[in-house]
Amino acid sequence: MQRISIDPITRLEGHGKIEIFLDEKGNVANSYFQVPELRGFERFVVGRPIEEMPLITNRICGVCPEAHNMAASKAADAVYKVDPPRAAKMLRELLYSAFYCTDHTTHFYALGGPDFVMGPDAPVAERNILGVIHKVGLETGGKVIQMRKYGHTVVEMIGGRKIHPCTSIPGGMTKGITEEQHTEIEAMGRWAIEFAQFSLKLFNDIVLGSKKYVDLILGDVYTHHTYYMGMVDENNKVNFYDGKVRVVDPYGKEFVKYAPKDYAEHIAEHVEPWTYLKFPYLKGVGWKGFVDGFDSGVYMTTPLSRLNVSDGMATPRAQEEYERFYSTLSGKPVHQRLATHWARLIELLYAAERWVELVTDSEITSPNIHAKPTQIPIEGIGMVEAPRGTLTHHYWTDERGIVTKANLIVGTTNNYAPIQMSTHKAAASLIKNGKVTEGLLNMVEMAFRAYDPCFGCATHSLPGQMPLEITIHDVDGNPVEVLKQFC
Amino acid sequence: MKTLVVGLGNPILGDDGVGWKVAEKIGQQLPHDQSITVDCLSLGGISLMEHLIGYDRTILIDAFASDEDLGSIHVMTLNDLPNYSAFHTSSAHDTSLQNAIEMGRSLGAHLPEDIMVVGIATQRIYDFSEELSPPVVAAIPQAVRIVLDLLKQNVMAR
Repeated sequence: MQRISIDPITRLEGHGKIEIFLDEKGNVANSYFQVPELRGFERFVVGRPIEEMPLITNRICGVCPEAHNMAASKAADAVYKVDPPRAAKMLRELLYSAFYCTDHTTHFYALGGPDFVMGPDAPVAERNILGVIHKVGLETGGKVIQMRKYGHTVVEMIGGRKIHPCTSIPGGMTKGITEEQHTEIEAMGRWAIEFAQFSLKLFNDIVLGSKKYVDLILGDVYTHHTYYMGMVDENNKVNFYDGKVRVVDPYGKEFVKYAPKDYAEHIAEHVEPWTYLKFPYLKGVGWKGFVDGFDSGVYMTTPLSRLNVSDGMATPRAQEEYERFYSTLSGKPVHQRLATHWARLIELLYAAERWVELVTDSEITSPNIHAKPTQIPIEGIGMVEAPRGTLTHHYWTDERGIVTKANLIVGTTNNYAPIQMSTHKAAASLIKNGKVTEGLLNMVEMAFRAYDPCFGCATHSLPGQMPLEITIHDVDGNPVEVLKQFC
Repeated sequence: MKTLVVGLGNPILGDDGVGWKVAEKIGQQLPHDQSITVDCLSLGGISLMEHLIGYDRTILIDAFASDEDLGSIHVMTLNDLPNYSAFHTSSAHDTSLQNAIEMGRSLGAHLPEDIMVVGIATQRIYDFSEELSPPVVAAIPQAVRIVLDLLKQNVMAR
């Protein structure tokens, strides 16, 4: 059996690789997407005070520390059975909205965008953010950096420091914002709305204006019919910070809607012998393997999932884009994974609008930002939508609030099964009769890049860059060809 | 000349935290000098580049995975590093530091011309811990001396 190994050699904390096994005819028989699991995070936090969790867990990963900070903060509230005042919740969501703008911007312009702006066949040396900037203009690059700067500034103003916020405590926040900061945050938010609209126009002109790209998005290679999961508010509109978890089936019909605290009743984890990571699936459907369809418990949590599970966006401009999205792609749910890039930009616009909505609320500068915990701590679950999927933190403590047990289900872990299915399908469609096409590397990469996966987070470590290496082995296991691509 | 010394790594991932430990020691031992800033970061790619804006010179201290003896120290320029390096200079969520710096420069940002990397050899790290392994702890004083020497060259160059 011929063996092809795609090995993303990442930095020291971990690496993943794709192993592809061909049958006698040279077609794909099996493929395995493996990532090593870092050990001992749950053990590491045992014995520490619950109020330390928002600070420690945001060190798990350098990509979305704010998401871990938020999930842990909400879990700490729950452990102490305390409900933060409205102004405190708004401050957290405001910080989180600014973080979303930064994160989604970076993904589109640096990771997902190059495939569309430069083209999937463009030389590797050009298919990166430098190529994008050269093609669409330096001015755009300046806007990307400006957007990131504004996001960082809001995180620092509300979170107390850059990148790793430190102002959330059980029951609320340690500090609010001043009137001057309020004015500045509003101005930055209004700029962010314009930037998001600009980004959507760019996507519209370059991607949707090209038949080649539209065909690529709508093609079967990147399509899977699965269940979708995401958080919604009381009106079933997308919300990143709070709400209930809604799951829809492959036909778009609500399958279940539950409070975050009930997650364990609905999610189970499947174990495979070839990987340390587990594959979460819907208990109510059951594990049927890496297969599409109504009878398979595989679900996805991404920007596309969040749009698919919701009845719309809670802000007006994003709602218009949401309607255009589904009318262009012929109704809900959208199963084409590459449409996730478009969905991500609609979420960018929503995050920017929500940013302005929150900062212009009359209560945002209220000094009432902390409710004193008075109950004996025991157990708590905190959930947010991380940019790359639903993020759950679950802690058990003793009566002093010292952590005795922890369980985390991070965004990318939810998507492990869909990513496995997508990379398998891309490989199977490109490898025929033993011929490995030139585009294989990037086409497989595109399959998992749509998910914005963070294996650092999934493996509880900092992530690395993900260059791919494909080693093609002959029947005896000898490497006959090595293809490398650094993106 | 404004100089930034950065300890890179994850302080709760065992030997990966060595960059932070070295930077902290440098912060304690360095005579007061307003032209030198010492920081500890868990960043790579564009985010790291954004922190370098405004400086003339940077020294990055980081762990790297190696089959060499634990605690071996390598000093090199950023350009000596392969663009897909095993160091923290890369990020899965944007781009390599080299690309990020090129992007920053093309947008008119003032970024250091002189970027040195002091790397300390570790094994692949898969366990959460705030403790470093003994050979890596033993390498800290030498790494500190190397960075302080590099900083002296900096002063002489002025």
